[in-house]
Amino acid sequence: MSKSSPRRPFGGKSTGTVTVIEARVHRSWARNARMAFVLTAVIAGLLAAVVAASYMHPILALFVGVGVGVPLGGIVWVLVRIWPVIRLLWWWTPEIGLAGLLLVGWVQLASHTPTLVTLLVVALVVGVPAAVPVIRHQIMAWAWCLVVRHRLRVCFAQFIIANQSGSLPLILWATPTPVGERVWVYLRPGLSVKDLEARLDKIAVTCHASTVLIERASDGNAAYVRFDIKRREVLTANVGSPLVDVIDPDTPTVEQAPQEVPTALDLPDVQAPTITLPKQGGTTDRKPAATSTANGSKPAASSSTAEDDVSDWI
Amino acid sequence: MSIVTEPAPVPVGPGLSMFDPIFIGIDEFGQPVYITLAYRNLLAGGEPGGGKSGLLNCIAAHAALSVDSRLVLLDGKLVELGQWEDSADAFIGPDITAALDVLRRLQLVMNNRYAWLRAHNRRKVTAADGLSVITVLVDEIAFYSATVGSKQEQEEFVALLRDLVARGRAAGIPVVAATQRPSFDIIPTSLRDLFGYRAAFRCTTSNSSNIVLGHGWAEQGYSATDIAPTNQGAAYLIAEGGVPRRIKVAYLSDAQIAGIADYAAWIRRPGTITTPPSSPADWGMAA
Ligand SMILES: Nc1ncnc2c1ncn2[C@@H]1O[C@H](COP(=O)(O)OP(=O)(O)O)[C@@H](O)[C@H]1O
Ligand SMILES: [Mg+2]
Repeated sequence: MSKSSPRRPFGGKSTGTVTVIEARVHRSWARNARMAFVLTAVIAGLLAAVVAASYMHPILALFVGVGVGVPLGGIVWVLVRIWPVIRLLWWWTPEIGLAGLLLVGWVQLASHTPTLVTLLVVALVVGVPAAVPVIRHQIMAWAWCLVVRHRLRVCFAQFIIANQSGSLPLILWATPTPVGERVWVYLRPGLSVKDLEARLDKIAVTCHASTVLIERASDGNAAYVRFDIKRREVLTANVGSPLVDVIDPDTPTVEQAPQEVPTALDLPDVQAPTITLPKQGGTTDRKPAATSTANGSKPAASSSTAEDDVSDWI
Repeated sequence: MSIVTEPAPVPVGPGLSMFDPIFIGIDEFGQPVYITLAYRNLLAGGEPGGGKSGLLNCIAAHAALSVDSRLVLLDGKLVELGQWEDSADAFIGPDITAALDVLRRLQLVMNNRYAWLRAHNRRKVTAADGLSVITVLVDEIAFYSATVGSKQEQEEFVALLRDLVARGRAAGIPVVAATQRPSFDIIPTSLRDLFGYRAAFRCTTSNSSNIVLGHGWAEQGYSATDIAPTNQGAAYLIAEGGVPRRIKVAYLSDAQIAGIADYAAWIRRPGTITTPPSSPADWGMAA
């Protein structure tokens, strides 16, 4: 689905693929709206007519039914037609809400307090979080959560288009984690975790992150997945062991047999055949390895190399 | 200081058990990561200097301080696990004959334990049995399985180790092994897949990361190649049937190891440690 065909004649503002999908999407929306209108008008109209029929003449009731059904169908038609706009508003709800809150707060503050106090309050509200690292990091982390939801949507809209109607996965909530963010997503038909895993690197780039991992968030529903977005390495500090604290530092040491310390520590101290890595316990000869257990089973191999070795081992 | 009366059956150690979860580090959420080694084996892989021996030391420290534990150490380099020699029942250096000997002993113990379990109509050793958990720590398997000794010895080593890994878990004989590259010439795939815990320290290729963690994890984004070379001790840990988790292994400095090892040797010195009621027979038969 994501093959790009730039030679498509009616390339509007971006690549061919997107335009094609959008054209199709457009048509399907118009069709959906018509369908919604008809369905709503018929069902609501019939219901209204049936109810009205018990109060008045059936023919009059029919007119009432039409009078109720058509306006209702019209409302639904409008809703479905402007669905892209509603969806856009829905996507930006947190930002719109926040901006509204800030604006209202600012206006209220400015109109109810003298300028000096206003400035002081603003300085406090902005300055304290900026000065206290913990608060600052928290705010940044939540800000990233907002950003990353939009970035993920960009991924789905731009290069993970999955089905004919181009429906986007539902991007649910996001929470900060020590390494980045965790976002829950509900996939729509046409996508699977496997498809997404093939594009992890691109998703990471789009989210301005280092790596992205995708896991199923529910055992019973494959559509419900979790994105783990990682933009920081946190495991860099040394970790201590609690076992250090459980020991008693004043314990007497057990006396142990003195170890013999090897002496030949430099190359000239070591003669070629005598001192080697202690390959075989107790043997001083070189080359015991090939013959130790092979004596009986592989006489040909050992006798061909050196006869005296064999005699050593008998 | 601990009270030292001669016929003291009460352990004076900190009372850890090998059936307890072993703390090995923290994960990315800052949460402690525990493994339960009594019924699972662990394989650590990764490039030199990744922190494999650090993990082995961490486990050895817990095992040394545990009351119901015996340690068998195989360390071709001598220095990585050498400090635990006094707490260990067997410490094998670069000597494959000795390594084979101790593995054969362990195999016998294992067989005896299974016979014992069968006689009691049971299927696995539990903490209540009073049997000790015999932790087998092998640093750099490749040294024994592909470097030292003859072909037959190497093959026998792998065969014995595989038997321990395959059958030892229910008998309380877990194996913890470290290797730089667990490719098939070092550890046969059939053996590698038997380890319940796999820890992938930094790897140079996502292929080798896959070799440690299991097939396909790198493609899903869990690749030990993205561990920075300077971040020693960071690893992906996967437990049987789970998803790899990024962890940082707790690190014990040489001095800390020496302190713990001395203490462990002190509480384990002959005469103080409780001898599990039924294990001497096993060891007698095995030895
Ligand atoms: N968990 C850890 N935390 C911090 N540093 C570590 C950790 N593990 C290992 N290191 C550092 O890395 C070095 C090499 O570790 P080591 O365990 O010997 O690696 P390997 O056995 O994989 O070759 C150690 O000397 C130590 O300085
Ligand atoms: Mg090492």
